[in-house]
Amino acid sequence: MTPLMVGAFYNPHLAAPLLAAPAGAIDHLAMADPPHPQDPLWPRIKNRYTLLLHDYLGQLSEPLDERSIERARSLAALYETPWVAEHFQCLHTEDGSYQLNYVFPPLYTEEFLDRFVANAKALQARLDQPLVMENIPGFFDVSGGASQMPEPVWLRRFFDATGTGFLLDLPHVWLEAHYAGKSPAIFLEAFPLDRVVEIHVAGVAEDRDLQGPWIAPTAPSDEMLELLAFAASRCPEARAVTFDAFSPSLTADVLMEGVTRIRGAL
Amino acid sequence: MSDRALQDRLIRALADAPFRDSPAWRHAGVADPDRLERFARFLARHFYFERVHHFFRYSRALARITGRSPEAVIASPAFEALFPTLVLGSRPSADAVARLVVRHLSGGVEEVPYLADLLRYEAGMMVVESGPRVWRDTKPGVRSSGQVHPAAVEGTMLLDLEYDLPVVLPDLLKPWSEVPPCPRRPTKLLVARSRHGRVSVARTTVVIDTIMELADGRKTIEDLAVHAGLRPAELEATLQGLVELGAVRFRTGS
Repeated sequence: MTPLMVGAFYNPHLAAPLLAAPAGAIDHLAMADPPHPQDPLWPRIKNRYTLLLHDYLGQLSEPLDERSIERARSLAALYETPWVAEHFQCLHTEDGSYQLNYVFPPLYTEEFLDRFVANAKALQARLDQPLVMENIPGFFDVSGGASQMPEPVWLRRFFDATGTGFLLDLPHVWLEAHYAGKSPAIFLEAFPLDRVVEIHVAGVAEDRDLQGPWIAPTAPSDEMLELLAFAASRCPEARAVTFDAFSPSLTADVLMEGVTRIRGAL
Repeated sequence: MSDRALQDRLIRALADAPFRDSPAWRHAGVADPDRLERFARFLARHFYFERVHHFFRYSRALARITGRSPEAVIASPAFEALFPTLVLGSRPSADAVARLVVRHLSGGVEEVPYLADLLRYEAGMMVVESGPRVWRDTKPGVRSSGQVHPAAVEGTMLLDLEYDLPVVLPDLLKPWSEVPPCPRRPTKLLVARSRHGRVSVARTTVVIDTIMELADGRKTIEDLAVHAGLRPAELEATLQGLVELGAVRFRTGS
């Protein structure tokens, strides 16, 4: 197993502390948004860090249009990213009338499997870097759908059919297990961990609307770090672990603490 | 119903509170209603937090003077009172949330004489950004070679301001110790959104004002040129700029 890179997300308001971080403290930065044209520190960030493309490129329940593909290619070239990440999500209706703008997975059915496989293959064929796909948590069960299957089974079939990599979002697995009343470690073992290229780790906090935990810009708990150590031991192809905190309320102290704690857990 | 159609119904149920409360949805029994409602509210708060954070960023820069942060509205009972009516991404919902933010930030700050204009500008940006958008192009945009009829795009906004806000906006986001001044002179801005959702602002000119007033989808470019007292070629360059901003689209006439 190659040594794991440990990094964080690029939060532009924390550019100065990221540049002041000691050498070797942070190996890479994931880019959730393109750099702002007036971001004065961006050139130095780009010069110093390995950058991972982790933007919203489009939902793969439909084929990406030429404009989206060109945007993905252009960002990948700008960042010189080793891989390109997208999500297993379906956030807007096919006609564009309704949108959610945040995490919502597709139904794990044969129809959606066919759609995601075809569209991921088409995207991969246009990229110069490997495509990796991130799991998205569901908060409630859905009745109906022609042929629903467990998420880990659906993901396994997707990765087998496409040859793409798996971006394992560990808090997403933890949250699903929590809301389903399952053991996170046992639930995790069902996922195709042999396909994992990158792992996301984050803190969670109580959310007033969900009346339960959700991802928050806080350092990961001891429990999450134990799950990380367990996951890392079962992901032989993993190359990076990223502290998944991207928020205007994130502080430099929390970002550095998160990365340090992750490094300590590995 | 296909799985994609079922997914669309779920997305609509999460985005559209009145639909969620309708008999058509309630009797469908697709998901646990309590869980779905909690997740819908979570998504709504996230959706509008992101927009308020983005569009009211200049007001946030003034928070140490006004003592009020725009995002505080999203945690308020007034925002929660909107939950039963919210349709994520719709213009009425964007307008309702923007009004709450403006009410929260308005009033009595002598150090910022242009605050009222600034809030109108920020709220205008947020409202113009809303509405259905094109998520993916299914065919290239080919302009017809036939006669075209420029039409002002619904939702495009013209703002008449007392202060020349574009001068001060960049300064508000830089470090400052005294509130950056803004020249007091009448300023008219056009706020438009592209088909893909990008919001742009441009200063208007007499020609732009005329086009926006007359472009009703029935007049040709030649008709507009006559009304505006311009040569068609002269008008066309401005029209093309307005099309790129999303303020005007061309309809093909018969």
